[in-house]
Amino acid sequence: MNSGYSRAKGAFIVILIAMAIIAALCFVLSETPVKALSLFFIGPFSSLYSLGNMLASSTVLILGGLGVSIAMKGSSFNLGGEGQIYLGGFVAAVSGVALQDLGMLGTLIAIAAGSLASGAIAGFSGWCRMKWKTSEMISSFLLSSALVMVINYLITGPFLDPGSNLLTTQKVPQAMRLSKILPPSGLSTAILIAIASAAVIQAYLYRTKGGYSLRITGMSYRYAVYSGLNTRVYTWLPMFLSGTLYGMGGALSVFGTYYACVRDFQSGLGWNGFAVALIAGSNPVLVIPAALFFAWIQSGARIAMQGSDLTSQVASIAQAVIFFLITCEAFGRTRKKGGVSCK
Amino acid sequence: MNEIPAIQLEGISKRYNDVQALDDVSLDVRRGEIICLAGENGAGKTTLMKILYGMEQPDSGTIRIDGKEVSLRSPLDSAALGIGMVHQHFMLVGGFTVAQNAALGIEKKRFGSILDTKATEDFVQKKIDEFGLSLKATDCVDSLTVGQRQQAEILRLLCRNDRIMILDEPTSVLTEEEVSRLFSHLKAMAGEGETIVLITHKLDEIKRISDRVAILTKGRMTAIRRTSDVTEDEISKLMFGSSVKLGIPRQRASEEGKTVLSLHNVCVKKQSQEKPLLCHVSFDARAGEILGFAGVSGNGLGVLEGVLGGFIRTSEGTITLRGQDITGLPTRELRKNGLSYVPADRIAMGSCAKATVSENLIAPMLGRFSLGPFLDRRRIREFSEDRISKFGIKASPDETASSLSGGNIQKMILSRETVLAEDCIVLSQPTWGLDRESSQFVYLQMQELRKRKIAVILISYSLDEILAVADRIVIISKGRIAGIMDNKEGLSREKLGRMMLGKEDRDE
Repeated sequence: MNSGYSRAKGAFIVILIAMAIIAALCFVLSETPVKALSLFFIGPFSSLYSLGNMLASSTVLILGGLGVSIAMKGSSFNLGGEGQIYLGGFVAAVSGVALQDLGMLGTLIAIAAGSLASGAIAGFSGWCRMKWKTSEMISSFLLSSALVMVINYLITGPFLDPGSNLLTTQKVPQAMRLSKILPPSGLSTAILIAIASAAVIQAYLYRTKGGYSLRITGMSYRYAVYSGLNTRVYTWLPMFLSGTLYGMGGALSVFGTYYACVRDFQSGLGWNGFAVALIAGSNPVLVIPAALFFAWIQSGARIAMQGSDLTSQVASIAQAVIFFLITCEAFGRTRKKGGVSCK
Repeated sequence: MNEIPAIQLEGISKRYNDVQALDDVSLDVRRGEIICLAGENGAGKTTLMKILYGMEQPDSGTIRIDGKEVSLRSPLDSAALGIGMVHQHFMLVGGFTVAQNAALGIEKKRFGSILDTKATEDFVQKKIDEFGLSLKATDCVDSLTVGQRQQAEILRLLCRNDRIMILDEPTSVLTEEEVSRLFSHLKAMAGEGETIVLITHKLDEIKRISDRVAILTKGRMTAIRRTSDVTEDEISKLMFGSSVKLGIPRQRASEEGKTVLSLHNVCVKKQSQEKPLLCHVSFDARAGEILGFAGVSGNGLGVLEGVLGGFIRTSEGTITLRGQDITGLPTRELRKNGLSYVPADRIAMGSCAKATVSENLIAPMLGRFSLGPFLDRRRIREFSEDRISKFGIKASPDETASSLSGGNIQKMILSRETVLAEDCIVLSQPTWGLDRESSQFVYLQMQELRKRKIAVILISYSLDEILAVADRIVIISKGRIAGIMDNKEGLSREKLGRMMLGKEDRDE
């Protein structure tokens, strides 16, 4: 429990430094720094609409953070989040349209299909690792990059919605969409599913035999072999679960926010999942506040950009700063423990 | 003749936590001399050489090279003084040629910075020819045999003009023919003025190669003799003569139990190596006895552990447990068949440093702590607390194992494996590195297991330990069984020592 405390402290310090740097940036880059600052930090809470949008964007971040976390618990790295979110969203959108006669049952099936499709893709990287000791980091990244191209083609080609001006698939019908919270913001019941997922993953990891075996195999492969755990399964399973969570993030974005698979909607989300998992120290429950924090900075930057003279680059810089600091902190943590591996 | 010795070690002491590895050790070696450093496992041979090589720093004592006092803070310091070491495990760069390996860091260059491959190869080839090594400078090291790889290692030192060479058990992986070739090379080099220190515990090799032999016993230098003045018997007596009382009450197995685990003609061969690691090993382990396996490291005890633990594949022979064939089953399957096993590597294999104590206690028997797919947390808690109090483990169930001391980690492993033991348990080096109190505890546990009519297989490099607790003793030498005997009063330590060194004929 001691390490949990120091982890929380480390993350807290990083958050403070990040906020200080953002404040400094506002003073340097803006003519009206006080206004920019208040928009940045308070803006997301100034109206129910902005609050709703902030919470909506945290939905995918929670699932992405969970996806990264569970892979890390199994000592795997899933760098294919972008492609997996995209694939999950695409499969869900397309099967949603195909199943439109089934109503909410169709929604359920579509979300499951999207999640499992991404799970299969990530699980394949894990399976290759088990079979041939290939790096799941490289294979998941390459597969994901290729997938993005393929899905881009499918959206702009065979599955393009001719009735829309956007590059997007056909929208799923009204009856299938997840119900709104705080309309007209993007927030929907999807966030409840995301929060429930965090609880399920936490329970799986710490309360079930499977989760225990997954963590032990991740912490010490030799000990797991010696103890007679099924190390083959727990080599690919973390990747499969990771991909499933990413895919679910994509599918929920479709049914909760966009109602279709819009071209490039996934852009950046996969990597932000990494930042969230690093802030949370791969702890499924802590992923929720970490995702909220990240979403706060993101929407703050967006609001400050709209309401003051700050440019969109400030948002990118703010994200980069957080990413950088969190990575330093996470690596510092593992180095102090004497390990070179980043777990 | 008052020649200054090439190496002078004086009053070297070194302590690791609880263990005095070296205690006031002194040794002089003359230029052009071949000296053998002999002693039991854990006597401190390797530690002493690591100090001379700069890998470890002594707590006290001085080192003089050619009469000048030096301080060796790292292998770079010793390399600058011309001290080189050939490690037991070779350190060649794969994919590089012999010349690239031998001249790594000292390549010939053109215009000060461009590698001159041809000149480097010529330089290395000249060294090869000079010492008559059976290598070619342009060969890729991946294609070399084990014996040639070792020559390449030695060549590396020769190319650096190292005048002092340390070889750590250089013959352990070599065939007889390769050994002969190595020795004639070493003799030639000594003739050229190289000073050579060999770590070995093979008596015949000491006699064949060395001018003098220095014997370390439990961290002290107990004898330095001219090799021509001592017989092999005398060397073995010097190495194994002194026993240490472990203070364990001797108990005997009451009656002969029935056979539980049985190995028949088991062989293990590695593809790249000609020498088999285990050769036609057969024995029966009976219920209610402690069967002790003794041997010198590098003779197959570690391989035997791997075979019994299921992570080294046998190439021949059969293994049966309660009459059921379990040959070739991996660890997972053996666990299902009731394998109970305390491995020699208790840190990386026997426990999981990042997991908590209770997580460490349940891994091989998850089935006992489950409610469907869920873990029965209350039962785990009760079990952990019970184990911790019964075995006196100084830890709480939620503590991570990495914060435990070696002795407590071993207690944790024992407390788990003794629950699993149904009719057979394997313990490898169970007291290695433990303090006296923890070792006593391990011995008591072994006697408890014997009372439960369990066949206890004890693998240990410590002959004292084997003599103190085993009912029957199996001596392993060069991958073969050199003898199986009852541990009776009057069994001579020296005789066992000779058998371990492969000097006594097999007797049953």
